Amino acid sequence: MKQHFFENNPALDTDSKWVALVGNPNCGKTAIFNLLTGLNQKVSNYPGVTVEKKIGLVYSENLSYKVLDLPGTYSLQPESFDEEIVSEQVTDWAKGESPPAIIISVVDASNLARNLFLTSQLLDLNIPVIVALNMMDLLNDGQQIDCKKLAKKLGVNGVVPISAKKNQGLDELKLMIGTVLRSGKCSKHSLPWLNDKIVEHLSPLIDPQFYSKDFAVAQLLRKVTHFRNVNGDSSQFNSINEAIFELGYQPQTVEATLRYRWIDDIVNTVHKRSRPKIEKESRSEKWDNILTHRWGGPAIFITILYFIFQSIFTWATVPMDWIQAGVDQVSVFILSNMPSGMLRDILVEGIIAGVGAIVIFLPQILILSFFLTILEDTGYMARVAFMLDRGMTKMGLHGKSVLPLMSGYACAIPGIMSTRTIDSWKERLVTILILPLMSCSARLPVYTLLIGAFIPPVIVGGIFNLQGLTLVFMYFLGTVTALILAKIFSKFIKEKSSSSFVMELPPYRVPIARSVIRHVFIRGKLFLVNAGKIIMAISILLWFLASFPKVDPQSVDVNPIHHSYAGKIGHAMEPVIRPLGFDWKIGIGLLTSFAAREVMVSTMATIYNVEDSGDETVNLREAMLNDTDDKTGLPVYTPLVALALMVFYVFAAQCMATFAIVRQETNSWKWPLFMVAYMTALAYFGAMVVYQCGLLLGFS
Amino acid sequence: MILTDLNPGETGTINDIKGDTHLQNRLVELGLLSGIEVRMVKQAPFKGPVEIKFRDSYLSIRWQDARQIDLIK
Repeated sequence: MKQHFFENNPALDTDSKWVALVGNPNCGKTAIFNLLTGLNQKVSNYPGVTVEKKIGLVYSENLSYKVLDLPGTYSLQPESFDEEIVSEQVTDWAKGESPPAIIISVVDASNLARNLFLTSQLLDLNIPVIVALNMMDLLNDGQQIDCKKLAKKLGVNGVVPISAKKNQGLDELKLMIGTVLRSGKCSKHSLPWLNDKIVEHLSPLIDPQFYSKDFAVAQLLRKVTHFRNVNGDSSQFNSINEAIFELGYQPQTVEATLRYRWIDDIVNTVHKRSRPKIEKESRSEKWDNILTHRWGGPAIFITILYFIFQSIFTWATVPMDWIQAGVDQVSVFILSNMPSGMLRDILVEGIIAGVGAIVIFLPQILILSFFLTILEDTGYMARVAFMLDRGMTKMGLHGKSVLPLMSGYACAIPGIMSTRTIDSWKERLVTILILPLMSCSARLPVYTLLIGAFIPPVIVGGIFNLQGLTLVFMYFLGTVTALILAKIFSKFIKEKSSSSFVMELPPYRVPIARSVIRHVFIRGKLFLVNAGKIIMAISILLWFLASFPKVDPQSVDVNPIHHSYAGKIGHAMEPVIRPLGFDWKIGIGLLTSFAAREVMVSTMATIYNVEDSGDETVNLREAMLNDTDDKTGLPVYTPLVALALMVFYVFAAQCMATFAIVRQETNSWKWPLFMVAYMTALAYFGAMVVYQCGLLLGFS
Repeated sequence: MILTDLNPGETGTINDIKGDTHLQNRLVELGLLSGIEVRMVKQAPFKGPVEIKFRDSYLSIRWQDARQIDLIK
């Protein structure tokens, strides 16, 4: 993990100075990062929640420097994988391994003391710290924070009041960064929170690798009092703990107790307000009376889900039609302006048919990630985790599994990465293993194509469109199977550490439009770029396989595509997939979609275009509807086959990228291989059951 | 008296946090130390998580973990 990070971290490639953004979850760190760096940023991997490390460039008053956005964390004593990343980073800085020139500690002004806990830990490093006091707009009732006094008492280089939401205070922050970058001075106090007697006990044992003695002491205190990663002789640790106990502290809570004592003193002198009354109901709490109501809450959640899926199928159709028309225009243009020949065939039958069939699904992916981002940024997802934790625990999962699983509806990769916030390894592993069963947006093209072609748009029950219902059913099937399997897997996976669920319920906030747009934009771009690359390559390869060897159309009684390499492969597969109702064309699609699911659609498009070899691109939906068996003259694809195929796609593990990420996140080959094995078996038998039962019931 | 004895709306003062060290560690880092006042906000049905308010934070913890939090009588 660490190595991977350094390789992809341009901030550390050069000698130029760089700045680190560190803060609690929900403190608005990412919003500040976006305001600082504008569009000059590089996301090193898939966007999920703010799990990934992002690097941006700032140009300000003749200075340029890089900014690194670290994941949100409450403490340097990590309790989740996410926090471990930050803790490891900071520990490396303390050893003098490419430390930042400045740490910007982002602090939520409306929750001052708790946020300053992490600031006080960061101050142990010998690195200048600037406190970015965010959410100043949330302070009301004449509350005031004396920033100068706060800076002096904390021993930081400066405290800058900011409102990321209203875009206020950013210039002042940049000015302050500039000043500190030039002077490089660090104005910290030496362990102002820690009892001198405890320091005396710790000093002989501190780790000499650390650049900063204060950090070495604090790190040792954490190690001694928590007994984590302790090997060998621990008798000295025991005697230190006894000494701490004699001073009147519980060893396990001594760090927090002393830091909070120091922080509370400071906060009481700089923060002017009437004593916080915990009896006071916040506005969010009033919302929660409805939104997390015993029965009303889950009902609202289900309604929101239904609304999202319905909109994917109704709103998205308009831009999808435009894109379809655009793709048709392009191929008509090429057909009429390019001399016929192999290059034109590759372009029209291979690339445009293949890529065009995928680009059309961009609107649906954008809409889905838009809704997920809104639900996350408003703070609603934390409430969903709260409401569902009990049920999720019963299924062997975790309240914090809800967001990864829902992200899985967009794409399994950001979903799997966001499982890092789950504090227990077992529940995290189970979540990862079942997450690919959540129907991701790459399956949407397959569902859309098949539903649009084979499921009639009739209204059932007065209000429900049968097409929409079929789609919802596919999502439902994947989700329910995932939950059942979670229960089964959790019975067989051994516990490594105990599970807990401590989660902040942040106040409801209106999402910042810029952040939402950026998030959705990045998601769409990654879909186009990543999917596009694979699809383009496979489309070209497939076009060759489907077009060669060329046979004289006169010499054979069937379409020459049957004699092509692709045709031969597909026909060879047919006996295996016949019980599922699939023919050789689907067989080729199944093979190619092992690279990525959406390739299925482009594969079918390419095959039909090669088969047709006319002077126009074929409309895939019509082609599949009108395709008939060469011998019997009956339709090849029936609603029953379409249904079996959809069920196959609900379960099948067809995504190289998911395989790679599971390999990376579980750090083993065992789990990704197990995942592919169980999902393939489920897909094969699931589709077979649907097709065979359908036949028995008299469908064809 | 333990945290789960509080009905929604009632307040109490933290005495001690017992049980798992990871849980204890996380709670004290969030500022839930002895002497801190806490209000029970909400309890999810079927002994699901509870939501509490202390300092300026709203926090949700599981029922069985909340049982480990001792209040001053």
